[in-house]
Amino acid sequence: MHRGKGMTFVGDSRIPKRGKFIPPKDYSEYPGKTEAFLPNFLLKEWMVGAVFLIGFLVLTVSEASPLEAEADPTKAGYIPLPDWYFLFLYQLLKYPYAAGDYKVIGIVILPGLAMIALLIAPWLDRGPERRAARRPIATGLMLLSLISIIYLTWESSVSHDWAKSEEQGKIVKKVDIDKSSEGYKIYSSQSCVNCHGENLEGKVGPALVGKNIPAQLVEKVAVNGIPPKMPPNAFKGSDKDLKTLAKFIEKVSKK
Amino acid sequence: MLTKLYDWVDERLDITPMWRDLADHEVPEHVNPAYHFSAFVYCFGGLTFFTIVIQILSGMFLTMYYVPDINNAWDSVFYLQNKVAYGQIVRGMHHWGASLTIVMVFLHTLRVFFTGAYKKPRELNWIVGVLLFFIILGLGFTGYLLPWDMKALFATKVGLQIAASVPFIGNWIEVLLQGSDIVGAQTLARFFAIHVFFLPAALLGLLAAHFIMIRKQGISGPL
Amino acid sequence: MSNKEHDVTRRQFLNYTLTGVGGFMAAGMLMPMVRFAVDPLLQNKKTGKMVSVVSVDELTDQPQRKTFKVKKVDGWHEFEEQKIAYVFKKKNGDIMALSPICTHLGCTVNWNDPAYPNEYHCPCHGGRYTKTGINIPGTPPPAPLHVYDMKVKDGTVYLGDAHPRGGA
Repeated sequence: MHRGKGMTFVGDSRIPKRGKFIPPKDYSEYPGKTEAFLPNFLLKEWMVGAVFLIGFLVLTVSEASPLEAEADPTKAGYIPLPDWYFLFLYQLLKYPYAAGDYKVIGIVILPGLAMIALLIAPWLDRGPERRAARRPIATGLMLLSLISIIYLTWESSVSHDWAKSEEQGKIVKKVDIDKSSEGYKIYSSQSCVNCHGENLEGKVGPALVGKNIPAQLVEKVAVNGIPPKMPPNAFKGSDKDLKTLAKFIEKVSKK
Repeated sequence: MLTKLYDWVDERLDITPMWRDLADHEVPEHVNPAYHFSAFVYCFGGLTFFTIVIQILSGMFLTMYYVPDINNAWDSVFYLQNKVAYGQIVRGMHHWGASLTIVMVFLHTLRVFFTGAYKKPRELNWIVGVLLFFIILGLGFTGYLLPWDMKALFATKVGLQIAASVPFIGNWIEVLLQGSDIVGAQTLARFFAIHVFFLPAALLGLLAAHFIMIRKQGISGPL
Repeated sequence: MSNKEHDVTRRQFLNYTLTGVGGFMAAGMLMPMVRFAVDPLLQNKKTGKMVSVVSVDELTDQPQRKTFKVKKVDGWHEFEEQKIAYVFKKKNGDIMALSPICTHLGCTVNWNDPAYPNEYHCPCHGGRYTKTGINIPGTPPPAPLHVYDMKVKDGTVYLGDAHPRGGA
């Protein structure tokens, strides 16, 4: 160790300087057009930022962020969907070798390996070469994971029934239903109430409120059903009761 | 007037070197989109930071109306979005901004990866960056529950189910995150706390480390 | 950095542009948020509906404590707010309804406490008012009790919002 004259210390301390730090490149002596961070370069960054912000504000003004109906844990038929950036994980768990008995693979091993590999990437890819084309293994693995993430996300979004989940999540306006009326009595004594809910808000079956259902349609559907979900002959009773029921539903389903 | 005030502080604290160092450091040509258009890929990091700033600001303002409680959460979100002036924009900034942050952080990670910028001596900064990525995903997951609408509840149920099926410690993680044996009042309170205090604190700390390391090590050279 | 004289103006120009772009970004971000936050300030105050409180026949020249409920909408929270009024007939026969909220610091005053007969007395800091709600000099309240908007219809007293008295 260097001792005596010319010895340097770390800051104000008595620890001698070891000088192992790899100094950053000094770009002021670097060939090419370098420029000062402030104001020259920052101005360019901020211009990019300003354009970005304009686009972003246009998006927020034109597209309202979605809000579905208030959470209701009793509506078990709801098809859940995570936010888009988790879709690939969600899709992965649908495959037989990543679910059921093998779900440890889909839940722990694959994502865990990916996360650890990402964290320790600098030690997996240690060569001095920086160009992507000259380190084919690292680049290849990253491209492979990238493609699988894009593929899984895409698969997940095409296999999801968007129309149905929109229907299930819709905000249904509360309608005052006269529960003492003749029509409601028939509605609740028949099997209708089991699927369409006590307030016609929908349960396993779709909501009836806010749909403008004409009486004739109610009469037809109550007898014929809508395959595959709604069975035929759901209504059992006299024609007179059916008419009353149909009128009642027409009335409460008005928007 | 301002100069005098500045001089007064500078006399006592010598603040000039602190910001001059940042202001005058030379930015090389290869990251400057004004010289090479393809250098716009180097903007993703800055844009990630910009979206994070937007997230923090809009989040702060949203909590002026939002209530983390199962009886009021949805109503307060509905109210702030539909009844308060500019509510749609402020909630939109937070909602769409969340997606944009993920996109930007993703692009930034890919840029660093494909330019090999994580190699020696920048390994530590890469690790901090990956941790930041995970924290941002965690913010996305916890934030998704807060409006307390149908998709929030059911997606969180599935998410926690997934956590629960981790061997050995799964149930423990589930109860810890859920705060109860169902996804309900206590889950919402917990997710709010994690989303608004714990993760942002970690985020800010790591961001500071990220930036200090960039400044200390400088930008990686051209390929 | 060769042309010194030229460089100064160029640098200034860059700084001005930088401030402008930065200001634009800050304004673009903050303007919607600030408007969002100050919204309660800019909401129009709704005048409350008149609510029936008491029948005219019941009133005497002695203030009576009457409670009534007003529908209140507080953002997403709707509830019935309970309000109190002291209602009586003045000497000239006019009906007067006073709000019992002390004008000092907002406690609720009581009529005819044993220690303070024929006065409104505030238990918090000893504020006192005469029967018509005028604050007695030398006690803490700075103004008379507020008076409810009032109308009489079909022999019933309807009350609205309470207002400070002008010029008192």
